[in-house]
Amino acid sequence: MKLTRRSFVASTAATALMGIRSAVAEDERIIRFGMPQDFTKIYTFVTAEYSQGQRDYISLVNGRGGVNGYKIVADVSDHANDLPRAIEAYERLKREGMVLVDPLSTPVARALVSRALDDKINLVTAFSGRSDAADGSVFPYVMPLSPNYWTQAGLIVDFFRQQDKDLKGKKIVLVHIDTPFGKEPIPIFQALGQKLGYEFETFPYTPPGNDQSAIWPQVRRAKPDWVVFWGAGVGQTTALSEAIRNGIPMDRMSSSVWLSESDMDVVGKDAAKGVIKFEPCASGRSPKVIADILKEVGGKGQGAGPEAKIGTAYYNYGAMMGAIMVEGVRVAFNKAPNGPITGPWLNDGLTSITDFTAEGLLPAMTVTKEDHQGGGKGRIARWDGTKFVPQTDWFSANQDVVWAEIRKSAEAFKTNGK
Amino acid sequence: MFYRRAGIRHTDYRHERQLWPLPFDRYLVAVVAALLLAAPFVIERLYLVAYLLPWLIWSSAALGLNLLMGGAGQIHLGYGAVMAIGAYTSVHLVRIGAPLELAMLAGGLASALIGSIFGVAALRVKSLYLAMATIAMQYIVDFAITHIPGVSGGGQASIEVPPVRFLGLSIEGDLRTYYMALASCAVITLFMLNVGRTAFGRALAAIRERDYAAEIIGIDTFKYKLLAFWTSSFIGGVVGSVLVVCYLRSVSPDQFHLDLSVQILAMVIVGGLGSVLGSFFGAGLVLFAPIVFNNMIGFAADRSGIAISTDLRAHLPLMLYGALIIAFLVVEPLGLAKIYDNVRNYFLVWPFRTARR
Repeated sequence: MKLTRRSFVASTAATALMGIRSAVAEDERIIRFGMPQDFTKIYTFVTAEYSQGQRDYISLVNGRGGVNGYKIVADVSDHANDLPRAIEAYERLKREGMVLVDPLSTPVARALVSRALDDKINLVTAFSGRSDAADGSVFPYVMPLSPNYWTQAGLIVDFFRQQDKDLKGKKIVLVHIDTPFGKEPIPIFQALGQKLGYEFETFPYTPPGNDQSAIWPQVRRAKPDWVVFWGAGVGQTTALSEAIRNGIPMDRMSSSVWLSESDMDVVGKDAAKGVIKFEPCASGRSPKVIADILKEVGGKGQGAGPEAKIGTAYYNYGAMMGAIMVEGVRVAFNKAPNGPITGPWLNDGLTSITDFTAEGLLPAMTVTKEDHQGGGKGRIARWDGTKFVPQTDWFSANQDVVWAEIRKSAEAFKTNGK
Repeated sequence: MFYRRAGIRHTDYRHERQLWPLPFDRYLVAVVAALLLAAPFVIERLYLVAYLLPWLIWSSAALGLNLLMGGAGQIHLGYGAVMAIGAYTSVHLVRIGAPLELAMLAGGLASALIGSIFGVAALRVKSLYLAMATIAMQYIVDFAITHIPGVSGGGQASIEVPPVRFLGLSIEGDLRTYYMALASCAVITLFMLNVGRTAFGRALAAIRERDYAAEIIGIDTFKYKLLAFWTSSFIGGVVGSVLVVCYLRSVSPDQFHLDLSVQILAMVIVGGLGSVLGSFFGAGLVLFAPIVFNNMIGFAADRSGIAISTDLRAHLPLMLYGALIIAFLVVEPLGLAKIYDNVRNYFLVWPFRTARR
């Protein structure tokens, strides 16, 4: 015991000292993307696949020689949705010269907003963070680069309108997780309800949403024409199972971006047939970029994860974000070929992306200094029992209502003294 | 040899009861204090803003909880909620133009008030039941924050901390936030070091050991249990506002969930119940062990060229962290402070070994 105790304490101290020092690659021609993400705590349902897609796309670009001779380094680590860990990762990556950070977590993004604005580091908040960051004039270095939740709500309602021709007198209900994230789309549904004349009702369930049995009978009694279920992870599969149990028709139910093939395995592929969701990019393996990844990265055993996951919904979200980031680098090189490679340099590239489709993976996207959302296009897809089949072309809708909300919220951020 | 206890004779009570009777301890404290004061100028910025600053803030929080748990023996699983009340109160006050000094005190008072209301439960229930009552507090406060738009800040549920001034200095940049956290931590540490030497601290200790025995020897347990909740919650509230002003820079409900409460509870238990030093050790271990393991494994994987999957790379640090916590508690159930104490006891008489069994 004498020896164990002493050597235990000593060895712990020694390893602690060793661990604080971390690797700095001595390579000149690299561009560092910081990707501290949550692999172990709350966002686990999406992070692994999202990060795999992101890294595979970057491997594809690097395998073809990088951009302008520069290799992109995706510095991935786990922040476990814990703020001290995320801030440590951010500061460490900042020291190593990162020009972009993608934390894929709403709490972390919120805590990093003021740091990123001060440090002029591009904070990517795809499908997370503040929706009002779409207003680039207030948030110059916060880059959602994806249709935010308000846009998704606007597009979903417009799809309902396309289906029913007229929503007057119809009833739309929102079954949502009772957190700020779940409540976020409510103002859009309300504003559109006044405009289009439908009735709107909300049914919150308590987080994390693994028990929603009390809510769905009430939803059934409300006799909705359309149901939107708004959650993430376990809440989504529970919502679908309960909806099926209560006999709510699947083809009248829609989700935001957070629904994937893995969720369908949990619910039952046939039972959930007909359910619809918002798609920010094409799913499956048919888009050229995904096929290329499969051939040049995944097929060679250089993929960042299991090959079976290539082409799943969240994988493609990751590939989409990887593609947009790399496109930002490309545009930045076009504008200023000699760098220097800094946050503002990349910001200039990212905010000049014009009509970018990543060879058909995503709708034509144009980012400007004012619009960091990139146009707010997407489409609606329906689960046919084996895959998500697009029901519409890429479209955008109700952006006037969405932007009114974005400006209102961004204005409140500005008057906060920042 | 190091401690030189020979020749120290106490001639009055005041002398005997000073905080650090041995010169060596005094020098050690002075050196650590000097290092902390000089830190911004000697260590790299990364270690200042990402290690020292959160360590000071979390240690302060652990100290506040330690007063209640180690000092008075009352368990509290909702300390994150206590901090949330202080953070939100002070940020809202600062936003309507109140000076930060007042806003921090008001944050502390609001936490103390609401914390003591839930502390009333402690007068009726003990141990596990009290744990349940304080978890209820956590959930009620979480719910209230997210469901009152005036508190949470509306749709985005995130409020930026406006630029603030403390004692005439604007609190911005790495240096001033660090010194503000250091100053508040120093005040709380001094309070905690001294509280054990007061009638209040001794009354709490008596309640901790056996509350009806304390009542029999004339301690008003009703009053002192409430006071323990009041004081501890006040500290929690003040630390909450330091946390958002100096470190997080914005306040949102998810920063103060049960996770934070459990994290601080773990710091107190791993560090050592009732120990001031232990709170610092516990905060250091709980905050940084996952980060250090994460960096180590990332470094090892990059250097060795062994391709380990991201999942394993993310989970391995947590496994090691869990094993480390268990190992520490098995090796020394009284916490990290006791390990330090063992080392100190060894050196007290070094090179002789009489202190060892």
